[in-house]
Amino acid sequence: MATAESELRRRGALPHPDVGKYSDVNRDVLKVLSRPGKGWWILFSIALAGVGIFFLSWFTQIVRGIGVSGLNAPVGWGVYITTFVFWVGIAHSGTLISAILFLFRAPWRQSIYRAAEAMTVFAVMTAGLFPLIHVGRVWHAYWLVPYPNSRFLWPNFRSPLVWDVFAVTTYFTVSAVFFYLGTIPDLAAARDQARGLRKKFYQVTALGWRGTDREWHHFSKAYIYLAALATPLVLSVHSVVSWDFAMSIVPGWHTTIFAPYFVAGAIFSGVAMVITLAVPMRKFFGLEAYLTVKHFEAMAKLCLLTATIVLYAYLTEYFLAWYSGEPPERGSFWNRAFGSYWWANWIMLTCNGLVPLMLWFKRVRRSIAALFVISIFINIGMWFERFVIIVTSLSHEYEPWAWGLYRPSVVEMGILLGSFCWFGFWFLLFTRLLPPVAIAEMKEVIPPPMRGVKEAS
Amino acid sequence: MSDGLKRRDFLKVLGVSGAGASIAGCSTQEVERLIPYVVPPEDITPGVATWYASVCQECSAGCGIRVRTREGRAVMIEGNPEHPVSAGGVCSRGVSALQSLYDPDRVATPMRMGQSGLEGTTWDEAMQALVGGLQGAANPLFITGILGPTEELLVNQFVAALGGRRVVFDPLYDTALREATRIAFGVDALPHYDLANSGLVVSFGADFLETWGSPVAMGRQFAHMHGVDHGEKGRFVFLGSRLSLTGQNADEWIPIPPGSEAAVALGMAAHLVQAGADAGPYADLLSAHSAESAAQAAGTEATAIAALANDLASVPSIVLGPGLAGSHRGAAAANLAVLVLNAVAGNVGQTVRIQQTQTPTGGGFGSLLEAIRSMSGGSHGAVVVAGTNPAYAAPAGAGFAEAFQSVGFKVAFASALDETSAMADLVLPASHPLESWTDSMPRPGVYAVGQPAMRPVPHSDSRPMADVLLQAGAQLGQDYGGATSFRDFLSQANAAWLAANGARVGLTGDPAARWRELLRTGAVSYDDPPPEVSSLQPSATALSFDSPAVDGAGDLTLLVYPSSRFGDGTQANRPWLQELPDPVSKLMWHSWVEIHPDTAESLGLRTGDVVRLTTDHGEVEAPAWVYPGIRPDVVAIAMGGGHTAYGRFANGNGVNPMVLLPPVQDDASGAMALVSTRATLTPTGAWRRVATTEGSSDQDQRNIAPAVALAALGHAAEEEAGHHEQLQELQEIGGFKPSETEGRAEDYPLPGAEYGDYTRDQPRWAMSIDLDKCTGCSACVTACQAENNVPWVGENQILMGRDMHWMRIERYYEAVDATHAGTVDIRFLPMLCQHCNNAPCEPVCPVFAAYHTPDGLNGQAYNRCVGTRYCANNCPYKVRVFNWYSYTDLIPEPMTWQFNPDVTVRENGVMEKCSFCVQRIRDAGNRASVEGRDIRDGEVRPACQNSCPTGAIVFGNVRDTSSAVAGLVGDERTYRVLDELINTQPAVHYMKKVTHHEVDSGEH
Repeated sequence: MATAESELRRRGALPHPDVGKYSDVNRDVLKVLSRPGKGWWILFSIALAGVGIFFLSWFTQIVRGIGVSGLNAPVGWGVYITTFVFWVGIAHSGTLISAILFLFRAPWRQSIYRAAEAMTVFAVMTAGLFPLIHVGRVWHAYWLVPYPNSRFLWPNFRSPLVWDVFAVTTYFTVSAVFFYLGTIPDLAAARDQARGLRKKFYQVTALGWRGTDREWHHFSKAYIYLAALATPLVLSVHSVVSWDFAMSIVPGWHTTIFAPYFVAGAIFSGVAMVITLAVPMRKFFGLEAYLTVKHFEAMAKLCLLTATIVLYAYLTEYFLAWYSGEPPERGSFWNRAFGSYWWANWIMLTCNGLVPLMLWFKRVRRSIAALFVISIFINIGMWFERFVIIVTSLSHEYEPWAWGLYRPSVVEMGILLGSFCWFGFWFLLFTRLLPPVAIAEMKEVIPPPMRGVKEAS
Repeated sequence: MSDGLKRRDFLKVLGVSGAGASIAGCSTQEVERLIPYVVPPEDITPGVATWYASVCQECSAGCGIRVRTREGRAVMIEGNPEHPVSAGGVCSRGVSALQSLYDPDRVATPMRMGQSGLEGTTWDEAMQALVGGLQGAANPLFITGILGPTEELLVNQFVAALGGRRVVFDPLYDTALREATRIAFGVDALPHYDLANSGLVVSFGADFLETWGSPVAMGRQFAHMHGVDHGEKGRFVFLGSRLSLTGQNADEWIPIPPGSEAAVALGMAAHLVQAGADAGPYADLLSAHSAESAAQAAGTEATAIAALANDLASVPSIVLGPGLAGSHRGAAAANLAVLVLNAVAGNVGQTVRIQQTQTPTGGGFGSLLEAIRSMSGGSHGAVVVAGTNPAYAAPAGAGFAEAFQSVGFKVAFASALDETSAMADLVLPASHPLESWTDSMPRPGVYAVGQPAMRPVPHSDSRPMADVLLQAGAQLGQDYGGATSFRDFLSQANAAWLAANGARVGLTGDPAARWRELLRTGAVSYDDPPPEVSSLQPSATALSFDSPAVDGAGDLTLLVYPSSRFGDGTQANRPWLQELPDPVSKLMWHSWVEIHPDTAESLGLRTGDVVRLTTDHGEVEAPAWVYPGIRPDVVAIAMGGGHTAYGRFANGNGVNPMVLLPPVQDDASGAMALVSTRATLTPTGAWRRVATTEGSSDQDQRNIAPAVALAALGHAAEEEAGHHEQLQELQEIGGFKPSETEGRAEDYPLPGAEYGDYTRDQPRWAMSIDLDKCTGCSACVTACQAENNVPWVGENQILMGRDMHWMRIERYYEAVDATHAGTVDIRFLPMLCQHCNNAPCEPVCPVFAAYHTPDGLNGQAYNRCVGTRYCANNCPYKVRVFNWYSYTDLIPEPMTWQFNPDVTVRENGVMEKCSFCVQRIRDAGNRASVEGRDIRDGEVRPACQNSCPTGAIVFGNVRDTSSAVAGLVGDERTYRVLDELINTQPAVHYMKKVTHHEVDSGEH
């Protein structure tokens, strides 16, 4: 065995060459859960303040009216729906990495998927707030849910917004359960090391996991079934979200390519966000041995693939607008490129179409710093993609007399920034409460300890 | 005992909360007694509207109105179809009278000027002060607006008994035309025009669709003349330096410089005289003129002038005087020239009727100037001002305010305080016209009585001015035949006339019955024409027909014109009108300076750049509005803005252009010279977003408002059918059943509509809008707002793009060129909910708030709306408006009294839109089912249709083959906006505008 391992190591095929023993994994990962440092507290306070701004802004809007936003006629959807789609998109890569790559046995997912899944759950938690923030009468938002009532009033199942309710809630439920299930063995590992209140927390959440053969057997089965269940959701959620637009007749929205285009865009933005989060995590928590350049390169490749699909979709949209010959369709895309919101469109094209093309170079893919910068660009670009689709299309529809512009208000900006803090708040809690790297799965890919064989030093 | 609530603390809490409760419960007002509605007043049935015929007093046109009251409150004003002048139409200003009735800034009690300004007092003290003040005063001066004939009689008697003088000031009264008529025909009255029977209308700048003459009546006649209903289409040529709304409706525009009207009119007349027409005593005058001289003055080609002159003589035509906006130092001469042209073209006695009739005193500026001089000279011991606001509406340089201030005793009758009454020593709250009696003689042969529609609004302790005068007269020992109220005075004044003429005008029975019938119908007409004059008289007055003097420096002539929304500013205190997009500029809430694109370019200006407009007399700052419909050498600004003491809705909005004008008049007639000075434009460097709803005035190849050439009529339908084949072919490719959207009655229900609740035996409500008749006057917009409790939102919300109108008038420029004579093609398109059969808004609503009613309406259940705004996004017509705030909560008492109880008042966060006045459909349906019949055609008339002066809107059941709307829907001109592109199957069927010129009617 030792020779096999050294052979793997020699070929560079060992996923984590710097991780020696099982005990190292426990030590390194559970170290993250120890007492937080100054930096964490600073970040956490910022996030907490942002959450305050978020709810204060929302409260203002509920009390005074949705008019505190900059929305108007004809632009009835703006920053809120843009940010909703943005966060739903972010939520995609988690399940992709954990479920789809699990089913395809991609060897590089183990170290990254826990963080990606956590990101998914928190991103859906963020996204799910936005439809509520967005509606005019949030106190009646529950009418979108089909619940039995004496008036026999049901939601309109033809409306994509109702599909949205189902898609997002289903996705949240499944990804939350999947996330939790995957953490159970690690929670047990944490329980075994923790003391005091923390121990109590892990005792409850680990559900009495003992690591017996039977437990592992059931666990693996449940995990693979849930992975299979979550896989179609990766495709369905963002397809449904895209239908919010594609099912309408707004020029710039009404197009059949939206579902695949949005799914690709979602994975693109999701992976970019994983990179954005993983780079500092790796640095601050000393996880270099677990999140290696190899992992980042794999994610960069996924980014490159989806970036190409997204760029292709952009170009297809323009081509079809021209090819349709319809003045409103052509006008909409002309306005998108050269109208009042030209800057948003060019930010989008630059960030999503041009900057990721640098990933064709291996040196860029293998440079953590470059990846971090590029991922930030992609995050910005993907937010603007939704802004461009929503705002520029609405501002320039069929009736020339009714064209108009929209300017986001302070409250909307507060809620947009607040949503990042709300996400950050949960993610920071996650890094201190749950093992950010899957301990158990990690041990599957490092060489097992052999009796009588000395550890390679 | 250290734990728990201490007795002392308990008492403290009890004391504080008890005090709070008792403070909240305390009120200085008496506890009001609740009175159950057990025995309702006789003429009020809860839930059922009562209509009162009355007379609109927003301008001197005297249109007939019907006021709809519910439970004793006036809630709606509509045109009186039995009135011979307005025949059912009304304008925005007329409808908005409701808002001055319920104006929260109305004078609450009589007021006297004290140490710290006006202080409230009682009527007893006020009457004492009035009687005392008038009794001792030497030569009291009465300054009033135009009054009804009987009220004028009373006021004149009152003034005569006091030994005083009366002056009338109404900037919107065409004194110059009246004087020109007197000079030309010896008749001291305004001519009566018969547009309906002419084939060519030439207007020298008279804004007869907006502010000049009788806009509602002339709009109706114009639509008849200009429409194609009777087989031919009249032509309308506009000569003026700026396209007003009236000008925008023209077929051709000769952009003549201001002041050249007389030269052009005389040149045209001279051309006709050369061809053999008779100019009577004016032949000598005309010999100095010719088509060439006219062309020179107009800056155009002589052939164009000659051709137009020939056309005038060859068809029954009409030439309309320069009107108010063109009024200058030679206004009477210009009007005289136009009358001479009418006479030479053979129109006088045909389409232009000069009738000798009793006419109320006109309101010139000359008499006001004289009054100002005599006030400053100290010759008046007292001044009474009523129904006019010279401190605002006269040029500031006239010095009215100073002269008025110098008078010892100043009385103002005012419903709401304005700039003039705010300076008075005694302010008497006058009842609103809708609370008072009046009468009118809008034209010879028509007599109308205006009755109050409701008891005075209790927020204002008001009395009608005429009643106060009668009461004061009694105290002063004057005799009015025992009349103690103006109602008695009016019926006494009418009794003899009714007895003699009642049968002739269709009023029979005993005096009381005749009187009742007169009140019920509102107006009577009789056709024994007064003596008519049709031959020109030599001018006894020496007039100069040269271009009038325009003083001042600068290369731009300043044109100040009456606002079609506010008139001279009287209507500026009404939020409906403030927020009504100006029919020309589509701007709201603020003033603007109109400049030609060339002028703008040379000064480096764009719309929204704040400019300083300076004359020798004053300066104002307002944003520029670049307008292709104004001559490059002219700059224009509307009256009505910049009030300083006219209530919360008027103050501070816009600027008052009267500060720019010198106090000059046309010497012959005393008309105010509005084109009298030059101005310079200086960019201030500031920019402000202009409050508008206009997205683009270019149709951008979308054929939203297509037109058809007159010559192409007759085979317009073939082209239309071709489009449908394309659509159907496309639909079949997708395996989709092609939709018959021809709109014929037998096509209903349309494919797809047979599912669900869309039953077969229901009516299908539909509307036809004739774009050839729509003049863009926007009366429908205000009527809709009044009927449907549509709130106004204020300038800031407009700037954010959040107007709430359920209806808007889109205005697309097709052909406008101010640099040379040519075709004008400006399209108006009233846009409202299209009530699509295949409505994009319905499937996207997650909660069925947008739904389809069995009779084909797009319902909107406000209570079910969550506010996702998806329906508005998906509406291709963009007719859905959203309540971003609780706008209706901001409407102050008692304006809320105007709310239509049949329509829900919407709250924050819900979507709303045009309902086709569903409350009226249901009302008619209920009535029909009680009477066991179907709804009759024409029984349901939405507010927009009912207000439309030109009859452009027709509503009805399109499945009833005999209905008016079904007939129109099958017309060759009929099309549906965007239907060919997105198959929405709208219920609003537009009829293309018909142009005299060729249009690119197909695909652009």
